[in-house]
Amino acid sequence: MEEESGEELGLDRSTPKDFHFYHMDLYDSEDRLQLFPEENTRRRKEVVQAERANESTGAGDGKAQRDLQEEVEELVHLYGLEDDHELGDEFVENMPRMGVSEYPPYGMKRRDPAREQRDWRLSGEATEAEDLGFGGWGSAGQCQDLREVYRYTHGRASEEYECYVIPEEEDEEEAADVFCVTCKTPIRAFQKVFDEHKEHEVIPLNEALESAKDEIHKNMYKLEKQIIDMENFANHLEEVFITVEENFGKQEQNFESHYNEILETLAQKYEEKIQALGEKKKEKVEALYEQLVSCGENLDTCKELMETIEEMCHEEKVDFIKDAVAMADRLGKFLKTKTDVEISTQPDFEDQTLDFSDVEQLMGSINTIPAPSAPVINPQTPNSATGSSVRVCWSLYSDDTVESYQLSYRPVQDSSPGKDQAAPSPPIIKTKEIRSCEEAVLICWESGNLNPVDSYTVELTQAESPEASGVTESVVGIPTCESLVQLQPGQSYVIYVRALNTGGPSTRSEPATVHTIGSYFRLNKDTCHPWLTISQDGLTILRSERSTPTKEPPPSDTHFTRCVAVMGNLIPVRGHHYWEVEVDEHLDYTVGVAFEDVPKQEDLGANCLSWCMRHTFASSRHKYEFLHNRTTPDIRITVPPKKIGILLDYENSKLSFFNVELSQHLYTFSCQPHKFVHPCFSLEKPGCLKIRNGISMPKHVTFY
Amino acid sequence: MALKQISSNKCFGGLQKVFEHDSVELNCKMKFAVYLPPKAETGKCPALYWLSGLTCTEQNFISKSGYHQAASEHGLVVIAPDTSPRGCNIKGEDESWDFGTGAGFYVDATEDPWKTNYRMYSYITEELPQLINANFPVDPQRTSIFGHSMGGHGALICALKNPGKYKSVSAFAPICNPVLCPWGKKAFSGYLGTDQSKWKAYDATHLVKSYPGSQLDILIDQGKEDQFLLDGQLLPDNFIAACTEKKIPVVFRLQEGYDHSYYFIATFITDHIRHHAKYLNA
Repeated sequence: MEEESGEELGLDRSTPKDFHFYHMDLYDSEDRLQLFPEENTRRRKEVVQAERANESTGAGDGKAQRDLQEEVEELVHLYGLEDDHELGDEFVENMPRMGVSEYPPYGMKRRDPAREQRDWRLSGEATEAEDLGFGGWGSAGQCQDLREVYRYTHGRASEEYECYVIPEEEDEEEAADVFCVTCKTPIRAFQKVFDEHKEHEVIPLNEALESAKDEIHKNMYKLEKQIIDMENFANHLEEVFITVEENFGKQEQNFESHYNEILETLAQKYEEKIQALGEKKKEKVEALYEQLVSCGENLDTCKELMETIEEMCHEEKVDFIKDAVAMADRLGKFLKTKTDVEISTQPDFEDQTLDFSDVEQLMGSINTIPAPSAPVINPQTPNSATGSSVRVCWSLYSDDTVESYQLSYRPVQDSSPGKDQAAPSPPIIKTKEIRSCEEAVLICWESGNLNPVDSYTVELTQAESPEASGVTESVVGIPTCESLVQLQPGQSYVIYVRALNTGGPSTRSEPATVHTIGSYFRLNKDTCHPWLTISQDGLTILRSERSTPTKEPPPSDTHFTRCVAVMGNLIPVRGHHYWEVEVDEHLDYTVGVAFEDVPKQEDLGANCLSWCMRHTFASSRHKYEFLHNRTTPDIRITVPPKKIGILLDYENSKLSFFNVELSQHLYTFSCQPHKFVHPCFSLEKPGCLKIRNGISMPKHVTFY
Repeated sequence: MALKQISSNKCFGGLQKVFEHDSVELNCKMKFAVYLPPKAETGKCPALYWLSGLTCTEQNFISKSGYHQAASEHGLVVIAPDTSPRGCNIKGEDESWDFGTGAGFYVDATEDPWKTNYRMYSYITEELPQLINANFPVDPQRTSIFGHSMGGHGALICALKNPGKYKSVSAFAPICNPVLCPWGKKAFSGYLGTDQSKWKAYDATHLVKSYPGSQLDILIDQGKEDQFLLDGQLLPDNFIAACTEKKIPVVFRLQEGYDHSYYFIATFITDHIRHHAKYLNA
């Protein structure tokens, strides 16, 4: 490629033709401009650089005039500089940056893809350029100098000295006719006789000539060989130079393409990198140059020797002999000196690992919103977990912008199971003691285990949806054998309980069904007066006709003794509770509510811990009392209710009684239950009361 | 009939108005009070008629009873007419406070000189409801009636004589058995003559005994310290006994310490209005 380019480009210098090995334009910015007239405009260089380019081209001319030696020295000097800005003189100013070549790099073609990516420092006139680019050589002058050197060394060797012939010696002259081996000088024969050569060996001049010739021939061969070697070496060096440039160019291109996007942020990075490379290049080139220089010197010496020999061969015999000897010496010496033909520096650049991580980070971080702060997980609310799921709620800071949340979990193992403890047996729900209202249920159970249990879990599903689709809620970590669970009104639930210990959970207990309609309670047998019987279903109270013992039972704290009464177990939940009692017209009864600790020796309503409605039927007259603290308003009711509705309203502190069938409101107490109250029932005469609960409030009741 | 608005006052979000009109039944100008609850702006409301007692006009109830809040909350239009025709220039109408002016007893008089004007029963049960239905946003199918003392008596007899017309009825210290009390005897003999059979037609206790109609739910409040109770003017026991007999549901409350005044009415007016609302808003 070099050759072609060389052919194409013309030289407008007065350089010998044989110096076409290197493209002039490589070192001569002038020429280059001719080739790429639009280059400057196409460049996306900064103006400064463009100016530099222009200036350097202008300077290039000037440089050409300079003394070679001077420039060589300056080159060396220049190579030692890292940065344009450090260069003081105009020379330097005009010099483009190390990394920026005025001349397209050698591998121009290959820059096409790079150009498509970025058009950064250099314009990508790759298509045009088939020529060599020895970018980065710096000033044209430098290149020129080197070229001249090359020219010098290369051209002659290959062309002029292809065939090296020592011209035949001329006939002997009247000069020396014998040769003193000792002194290694041709002498006249008669000189032998003289003192200085008396003892010396003398041979006839012809012989000396012969031997000298031989020797010289040998050395000539060696020289020639060396010349060829040096030529090759020079060639190689040249290629190395080219490759160096090429590689550098590639590297440069890589960097360009990568950094083009982030102009501002990467400008510095690019410069740094290029500078580093440039320095490297400088080092290499310097080393190579030094080698070259020494090589050149070597060649000089060789050539000088050759010239001398040449001249010598044209001399008179005597002179020739003289010189030949000396020459032989010199040659011998010279050839002994080791010529280093090893290239000191590798042309390859180590693959630069391009570290763009921080840049990538920079690029990536341009549009980001600051990371949000960690959300705060709310404490687990009751009824928010099932056997296989947990409901987690969290809150975040209002300043944060959040796109999504990532929830992760891991099971937390308690202290290792250790010994293989068997899982406990399932508990047994006390279904008869379930109490519920519209918003909650109170369940209690038997442990079902002899050994202590760590905790219990209550699981509930809505009964409408079958097992498959229903979500099972669970309440975990229950320490005792009862639990108050919040529910939705108007639903049916199926409830299970599990026991839990270190061996794991038990199987589910037998289910219990709960309907959150109305309030549901059962009579508390513990409070039952001995004369009362409670039915199996816990809803009917019976005072039998059998003759009652005359003696009243002894006082008790738990069950009624004087008043033949029983209490129910109402769920301790504030809100509305409604139940109904079926009564007989002729029955003497009392129904109402009372605190749990109502005195059991007293009548219901006789104290301030109970409120009730009492019906007494005597002499065909119905008497109705609404008792609290022994007082009652004077109320007449003309139609005796058969079904009494009782509404306990904690929120409004009211207790109301209704005639259910007539939707008639009978009476309302304003009571302030500071604690929870329970339904109470008593039968003053034999008869029965039937309780109906788990029914929702009738509409007329809602007015109250 | 042209209504002339006498006054209008905003109260509990609604409007307490007083109108005057020419009554056909009574042959004179009559005033009545109407309370329109906030709900009346957007739709028809049930109507609750209040009948005041002896010596009252349409003003007593609307100024003393404090009923507006409950009426407003339950969305009831409350109509309070006058207690008798006024300015008829009948001889003797102003002689007594318990007979004549202010003591119409809610009967249609048959005796002269009263029979021309003193037709309060027809006025209350026919003319006034027609007038109200035509001029105010009321639902004619939902009507109830209540009153105090003589008005209590009036409410009871209107309800008992018109089964199904009223959804509910209640009374404060009503004259339950006028045929047997001095007030009743005086009034009935003046308005109706001496034929006591005509009297029974306006006696709640008697009417109950032959009441055939639909279920009534009667609420009666009676002040225990009511002087007229003690004087035997009111006789609620008779009424209760009759109702018990006939299984007419009554809740009769004898309120300890209360008298016959509007203070007593004001105390329990909310209960009564709620009682009516239960049926009117059902």
